[in-house]
Amino acid sequence: MIQKKVCMVGVQGTGKTSLVQQFVHSMFSDRYLSTVGVKIDRKALDLDGTPLTIVLWDLAGRDGQEDITTSYLRGAHAILYVADGTRKETCDQLGELRALAREAAGEVPELLALNKIDLTDRWALDKRYEETLAREWDLVRTSAKSGTGVEEAFQRLGRATLATKEARS
Amino acid sequence: MPDDRAPWEQSSPTAGYGDRPDDLAELRDLILGPERRRLEELERRLDAAGVTREELAELLPEAIALRSGRDRQLGRALAPTVESAIGESVRRNPRPIATAIFPVLGPAIRKAIAEALAGLVASINRTLEHSLSPRGLRWRLEAWRTGVPYAQIVLRHALVYRVEQVFLIHGDTGLLLSHAWAPDFPASDADLISGMLTAIRDFVADSFAPEREAGGLRRFSVGELTVMVEQGPQALIAAVVRGEAPEELLIRLQDTLETVHLQFAGPLAEFDGDTAPFTAARPLLEECLATVVATDRGRETGSRRAWVPWAVAAAVVLLLVGGLALRSRIRWNTALARLRTEPGIVVTEAERGWRRSSLAGLRDPIAPEPSALLAGAGVDTGRIEQRWEPYLSLRPELVLARARRAFAPPAGVELALAGDTLRASGTAPLRWAAGAQAVGLPAGTTVLDLRGLRLEVPPALGDLQERLARERVLFDVGSAVPRGDARGTIERVADAFGRLESGAAALGARATLELVGRTDTTGSDATNQELSRNRAEAVLRLLAGSGISRAVTSTSAVGTSRPLAGTDPAESARINRSVSFQVSLGLEPGREPR
Repeated sequence: MIQKKVCMVGVQGTGKTSLVQQFVHSMFSDRYLSTVGVKIDRKALDLDGTPLTIVLWDLAGRDGQEDITTSYLRGAHAILYVADGTRKETCDQLGELRALAREAAGEVPELLALNKIDLTDRWALDKRYEETLAREWDLVRTSAKSGTGVEEAFQRLGRATLATKEARS
Repeated sequence: MPDDRAPWEQSSPTAGYGDRPDDLAELRDLILGPERRRLEELERRLDAAGVTREELAELLPEAIALRSGRDRQLGRALAPTVESAIGESVRRNPRPIATAIFPVLGPAIRKAIAEALAGLVASINRTLEHSLSPRGLRWRLEAWRTGVPYAQIVLRHALVYRVEQVFLIHGDTGLLLSHAWAPDFPASDADLISGMLTAIRDFVADSFAPEREAGGLRRFSVGELTVMVEQGPQALIAAVVRGEAPEELLIRLQDTLETVHLQFAGPLAEFDGDTAPFTAARPLLEECLATVVATDRGRETGSRRAWVPWAVAAAVVLLLVGGLALRSRIRWNTALARLRTEPGIVVTEAERGWRRSSLAGLRDPIAPEPSALLAGAGVDTGRIEQRWEPYLSLRPELVLARARRAFAPPAGVELALAGDTLRASGTAPLRWAAGAQAVGLPAGTTVLDLRGLRLEVPPALGDLQERLARERVLFDVGSAVPRGDARGTIERVADAFGRLESGAAALGARATLELVGRTDTTGSDATNQELSRNRAEAVLRLLAGSGISRAVTSTSAVGTSRPLAGTDPAESARINRSVSFQVSLGLEPGREPR
């Protein structure tokens, strides 16, 4: 059986936890996020017949001065960033988050979930900003409300982790 | 130049030194020989660049002792080879191995049996204690309440410690490499627990000991559970222990972790999420699963609560005695009720005591035996003193029973009571009916009514009866004087009736003879009636003359009203100018049913 550790990071309130809630098997409550700072779920994938288990480390969001716990990022096979399209500052901080994460986890596959696309009336990003994001990131537009893009994000990350292994070997 | 030196001088090294090459070589050999040989040996050794067999033979025991003293790796490395060597040896010829281990086997088996027996005794003690103690009952209640098997509850409480789960976790990623769990332990989501455990260790380390070298969280407890963690360079091992986790368990975990690092060095270094190679590590983890149950502890608490089984036993005895007493009381009451409803028995006094009881009252002799009734209700009659005064009960069923006993009616005769009249019905032999009249009436009756009986006449008497019925005294037309041949008939009738009468008397019955006078159909009815009476009376006079008492005879004149049937009119007329005889057998007139 192949397992991969995938960390999910983002600024507080980007809807990380609710984004994956209905897609993963969970045994720990959300309380862990505020106490230990991480909550671990499981996501089973089938990539063209290859079973893959993603052990998803949902890290408590960055909140003002409180940074994410980088030790949780150690050994991650991939990182899923989550940003909130209705709050531009959550996207602005992506660069810092990425730097932190790369320092702890090294160069691993990354994916950005641009969340809350269902809230079009409160959308805070202009076209140019989005284009810049799309250039810098492998980007998937998601909605926690409808579930749009979540499965795709997992599939892409899963494939990426398998690909790096093949590349290494 | 001729050599004129003495022979010993000729080989002198000094003489002509350098002149002959052979001499020189010889000289060199003599002086430098041993050194050269040592040099050559050293050269050869350097060329071989290793250890010679001889050297290895010298060094091997020492080397083995040295390494074995340091760690257990040599044993682990040799184990497969030794195993296969022993296997091969046994396959080829099992005798040498069997002979070699024989002296060890006997004592080992004896020891195992002794231990098993000791364990059995201890477990019986524990079971007894657990079954009867309040704690045992509490555990049973807990088992019933939680639905967990009782054995598991006992184990949980009598447990010193039990390793329930062992996780092998990859250090960097926190991914679960392998997992072992106790047989009846429900293990689920081990991968998530493994991740979270890693996260919590990181959290604790980050929060309280930021410097990495601290080694992280090694041991923490939750209720009855302790989680012990050992950290290795590539992986960590975590054991979930219920109860008091001992220190030696930690050493065992360290040992296992070292073995894992040794055996799985490659897969650990290259780990990229594929856990397949670590399936082989599971037996190593399973070796750490252990259950240790208290045996001594039970005895300590046992002595402190030694009274409990006794108290329970006493309660059981009390309950038993109480139950028996209650049963005895119920039986006594039942028996008494039975006696009171029984006709012919009147209980006037009943006293029930612990050792002896007493009963007194009246009893009709015909009523059932009171002791039999008491025994039937389960009462021990041996412990009851009984006093019964005889009396006569006039209850109908008893009166009837008495009548049955007095009359002994044959089959086919029914006795019934109506007021004070005893009525018999059915078919009875004449002898019994006649006898019955002679029996005294039982108490409670004043009249015996035998009118409903049909009497059976004995064959001898019945014969005479029939013979008499066939006899006729014939008359001429219009005459009331018997014909000449009548005398013979009268004699036969007198004889037969005499015998019949005495036969009936012997049975206590009475025979009566009726003379029926008839006429033919000529003449008027009045004349015929008169004629038939005259004929009957004429025959009666003749019979009286033959000794038949008038008291047992009677006449009836039927004229033409009850004719006898003849074969033709003339014959009919002839046989009806006659007197015929009819015998009745009845009971003595004094007792004649009214």
